[in-house]
Amino acid sequence: MLNQQTHNATPTKSIAKKLSGAYGDKVAKVFMQTVALAILALLFLMVYLLFEMSLEAIKEFGFGFLTSTDWDPIMEEFSALPFFYGTLVTSILALLIAAPISVMVAIFITDILPVKLGQVLGLFVEMIAAIPSIVFGLWGLFFLAPIVREQITPLLKSTLGFLPIFQGPSFGIGVLTASIILAIMILPTITSISREVFKSVPQHQKEAALALGATREEMIRLAVLRPSFSGITGAIVLGFGRALGETMAVAMVIGNSSRISASLFAPGATMSSVIANEYAEASAGLHLSSLCYVGLLLFLVTLVVNSSARFIVWKFSPIARSARKDKRA
Amino acid sequence: MTSKKNVLEVKNLQAWFGKFHAVKGVSTDYPEKSITAIIGPSGCGKSTYLRCLNRIHEEVPGARSSGQALLLGQDIFAPEVDPVELRQNIGMVFQKPNPFPALSIFENVVVGLKLQGIKNKAKLLETAERCLRKAALWEEVKDKLHQQGTSLSGGQQQRLCIARALAVNPPVLLMDEPTSALDPIASAKIEELMQDLKEDFTVIVVTHNMQQAARVADYTSFLMLGELVEHGPSEIIFTNPKQSKTEDYITGRFG
Repeated sequence: MLNQQTHNATPTKSIAKKLSGAYGDKVAKVFMQTVALAILALLFLMVYLLFEMSLEAIKEFGFGFLTSTDWDPIMEEFSALPFFYGTLVTSILALLIAAPISVMVAIFITDILPVKLGQVLGLFVEMIAAIPSIVFGLWGLFFLAPIVREQITPLLKSTLGFLPIFQGPSFGIGVLTASIILAIMILPTITSISREVFKSVPQHQKEAALALGATREEMIRLAVLRPSFSGITGAIVLGFGRALGETMAVAMVIGNSSRISASLFAPGATMSSVIANEYAEASAGLHLSSLCYVGLLLFLVTLVVNSSARFIVWKFSPIARSARKDKRA
Repeated sequence: MTSKKNVLEVKNLQAWFGKFHAVKGVSTDYPEKSITAIIGPSGCGKSTYLRCLNRIHEEVPGARSSGQALLLGQDIFAPEVDPVELRQNIGMVFQKPNPFPALSIFENVVVGLKLQGIKNKAKLLETAERCLRKAALWEEVKDKLHQQGTSLSGGQQQRLCIARALAVNPPVLLMDEPTSALDPIASAKIEELMQDLKEDFTVIVVTHNMQQAARVADYTSFLMLGELVEHGPSEIIFTNPKQSKTEDYITGRFG
């Protein structure tokens, strides 16, 4: 009963009154408000503690933390740039791989497959999200890395080898392998949000397209994809947010090098992987504080990315907008 | 009126949803440049029947149909007929105004032409103006053609949808309760507009509203439980119907 009250206050109100009187109602309200505020407080506390722990590094390096390229625990020179770069490159590459596949899978599920089959496929895609990160890491290390080294690398070198990003030796573990793992891991996120967006396209919009003499493919482009553009964008940005923070699998296959390298075959590191790999050996002091500083930056980046994704999905989607308009009317 | 040739001749049309037999052998002729209203109680199959005529009924999973419908002599259900091409010749206006939300007013009107591959900007503009004028919407939107179609009022949106259907110049225009989502003033505008459309198109309109049928339609069909009970000139159906069921319905004894 208490739980329901947060979802929908009005219909349960009378029941609540019957069971425990107006007093119980008030207690429940206060209790819920306290819990809700506690969650908010926890969030601020976490940010504050992270900030406090990084204070030493912030004082030492300031904003130079983002411009210098040295990360040398022995010389006590620290900079987040190589990891910021690694995070950005792996996440963007993962998006380039995952976004088109996810959107196509979502369309396939909602508008091409028969409903029942679509639900089954959707379930399987969502089960990818349930696989623990460490399992992805193991799989990447023992299965994907050799494939990248022996098959994907020679293929890329022979076709696109003139690009600096596809040059240099490949050891299997590196930025490219991490990006492919990340792509698989964010695929369910983008797919399931895109599915929701496509499912919210009203049937009468699709029929309007068909009735004008659109083929099925044209119908999908005109009535489904076009109004979903901002929704898809939001889904992709949310996937990006997931990719930014993903730690374990990436830490296992990226190779952990704090050097910025143009080649995608080279090892690298991300903001999350460096924390996972180094916090255990970082004795207190500047090293640990710098890792916390990296964590703080990562937190801020994912916060901005995730909130803008939500904002895009709910604010700019024409479907959501027309739904809001219907509600007003 | 008998001298007019028939644009559409429907023969023994049947439709099913899975095992449910929704339309049971309807046959009617539709003379060119006329309005035919289809009336009947809710669930009598009138919308399903209409949706068979542009073969959009068969897009619903589990739905099928049989029978013949000759559009200018060609059976629309013949295996060689592509439903996509057919729908360029039989336009449709739906119950709920459904302009495409991501498109502007202008783009909504010409979207059918664009689907046919017409890209000539001047031709698109000319068609948009002509169809919006015909749909009695031009004066209201001429200064905001690039605003979203969904920014218009409900009645305007419905007229936009009519303009969109007219743009591909189909000989037959199907209207599925086009005014049921609109207020009386917007409805009256659509009815007025239908009278103008009759000059160029053959209109078949499903309606819940018997007064509307009596006002706008030259012919009226009365459907009940998937069967055509009676079809004839509206003045006869509404003043002197041959079937007692029709009389019971139009006098409000059921429905």
